[in-house]
Amino acid sequence: MDYLYDGTFDGFLTCIYHNYYDEAADGIYPREFYQPSLMNRWMLVTPDQQHAARVYQAIEEKMAGDSLHNIYYAFLAQYPNKETIILNYIRLGFRMGSTIDSYHTHPHVQPLHKIARKVTAEVHRFLGLLRFSDNGRFLHARLAPDHNILPMLADHFAERLKHERWIIEDEKRNQAVIYDGFSRPKGSRQRHWYIICLDDPLNCEAGAEDPYQELWKLYFNRIAIESRRNLRLQAQFVPRRYRKNLLEFEPFSEGDP
Amino acid sequence: MDTMTKLSVLTGAAKYDVSCASSGVSRGNQGKMGSTSQCGICHAWSDDGRCISLLKVLLSNDCIYDCRYCVNRRSNDVPRASFTAQEIADLTMQFYRRNYIEGLFLSAAVEKSPDYTMEKIIRVLTLLRRTYEFYGYIHVKIIPGADPLLVQQAGFLADRMSVNIEQPCEQSLRLMAPQKTLPMLYSPMAQVRDEIKTFKEDRRRLRHTPKFVPAGQSTQMIVGASQDSDMTILQTTSHLYKIFGLKRVYFSAYVPVNQDSNLPALATAPPLLREHRLYQSDWLLRYYHFQVEEIVDPQHANLEPEIDPKMSWALRHPEFFPLEINRASYEELLRVPGIGVKSAQRILRQRRMAAVSNDELKKLGVAYKRAQYFITCKGIYAGSHPFDPVTVRRILAPQPQATQLSLF
Repeated sequence: MDYLYDGTFDGFLTCIYHNYYDEAADGIYPREFYQPSLMNRWMLVTPDQQHAARVYQAIEEKMAGDSLHNIYYAFLAQYPNKETIILNYIRLGFRMGSTIDSYHTHPHVQPLHKIARKVTAEVHRFLGLLRFSDNGRFLHARLAPDHNILPMLADHFAERLKHERWIIEDEKRNQAVIYDGFSRPKGSRQRHWYIICLDDPLNCEAGAEDPYQELWKLYFNRIAIESRRNLRLQAQFVPRRYRKNLLEFEPFSEGDP
Repeated sequence: MDTMTKLSVLTGAAKYDVSCASSGVSRGNQGKMGSTSQCGICHAWSDDGRCISLLKVLLSNDCIYDCRYCVNRRSNDVPRASFTAQEIADLTMQFYRRNYIEGLFLSAAVEKSPDYTMEKIIRVLTLLRRTYEFYGYIHVKIIPGADPLLVQQAGFLADRMSVNIEQPCEQSLRLMAPQKTLPMLYSPMAQVRDEIKTFKEDRRRLRHTPKFVPAGQSTQMIVGASQDSDMTILQTTSHLYKIFGLKRVYFSAYVPVNQDSNLPALATAPPLLREHRLYQSDWLLRYYHFQVEEIVDPQHANLEPEIDPKMSWALRHPEFFPLEINRASYEELLRVPGIGVKSAQRILRQRRMAAVSNDELKKLGVAYKRAQYFITCKGIYAGSHPFDPVTVRRILAPQPQATQLSLF
């Protein structure tokens, strides 16, 4: 049986539930990209919060401390067949328990570690490589990450810029995180932010020229040591695909100071 | 003078400082803006491939000292500028809001006197921490010769402090920076070390004891300005880690900025490879349980440029190899060229489940190309050539490039 889900994590966990309580899954696929074939039967799964919560809890209790983290990060990856990779990992994990992450080279463990690591690395990278621009009303950042990392960025910036209003926009997936700058509700440990889907890219260019943008470009140019110039090294850290949203890689003409 | 010009002059004057780490302290946003992360965050990489994590500027480049290697020495004719405390604080806050930087790295030339300069630095830090309630990362330079009370005051406001010793021995220091002495540089280091210890102990009893320099101290040495060997540099490095408990010692390949009979000529390229090998040795000291005497000794006073220091050690100690992966201790695994901290830990975890084989090593992240000659798996040696230092060196060291012979 092939299970099709709606792309959400809850939907995915509901498929795992059906895998154990209805019929074992041959594969799990996002609904949009599924190609039905004559050989396989398939079923459209509607996300069920209770079923999802039950699977979530089971993973937390029966597998190691890092497993849930690994599974969620792998789920955020933009990777073909990530659902099957996670399914294999979970099946093995329920049998092995907390030792699963020690089998680094196991064919059902290694691929999951690999994609989870890629997402972790990209999240960390974008904590630095994200640029807000100030349009007078709120801060706005635009990025085009390889993986769906918005949920992992939101907490960091909600903590760091807790009194600011900001939007982080993922132009590849037409999604955005919104934070309104309010202090957190009493008794809650997490600050509230929202992920919304966008129809069109947001239009929030900074109206007047922001003097700090020019200062930053100047700083970026002046900090480099000419005799150590090494553009290949730089490209390892800042791949060219990220550069169109990075202010400092815009052309800069320096007047002689 | 406008901010643009000042930033240009004072960044250009600060760029030879290498330290840019924002790591070592994890703290939430207890004020209005800013937090820090344990592993540090890099925000950009400049054209020389070095990371930009902090806003690295001098408060002023107007110096009373005349150190020969320094671009800001008194006798140099360069444009001079000074920031006001307000200007630096505004730049930091505005850059930080836009996520350009992780915090501030504030250094200063010695203007008028060490105490005067240190007071000015403290004014910036107070403005940021108290008025703006900034909780991002701050790294600050200790001005040697400043009053211990001022150093202490700055220590409560900063995350990391550093004194640059610049030269590895008294002799070179006297030659290069005639107004400085080693005791003058070591005494603030000792002070910070002692106070970190005191306040840490007090915190265990009294929860509200303020934190003092929570990310520890670091220092930097210039490589290639004086004639010192790698052995001198590494011995000093190890000494600094042991005596002062430093978090990091940085090396800075000297970029000739001044014409001087004691310095390399202006056209000399900075010794980047040497700097790289020194950093590799530094890692061996800090993470790989190596002692200085194992990396360099009087017969091998300088590191080999062709191969890394760990490989160099391994080829000088063939009696240690080949090593059985499934029996070796963690410390022994770390000695194998091609196995690093992460892959050694993975090997330890995995072999608790089942013996590790040759094919699996690659999947565990081992650089098999190098490791193959130094190990056995389940008793089997699988290197493409027999283990013999001369052969292995020939295979792994880069061959000198073939050049056209001169006809004349």
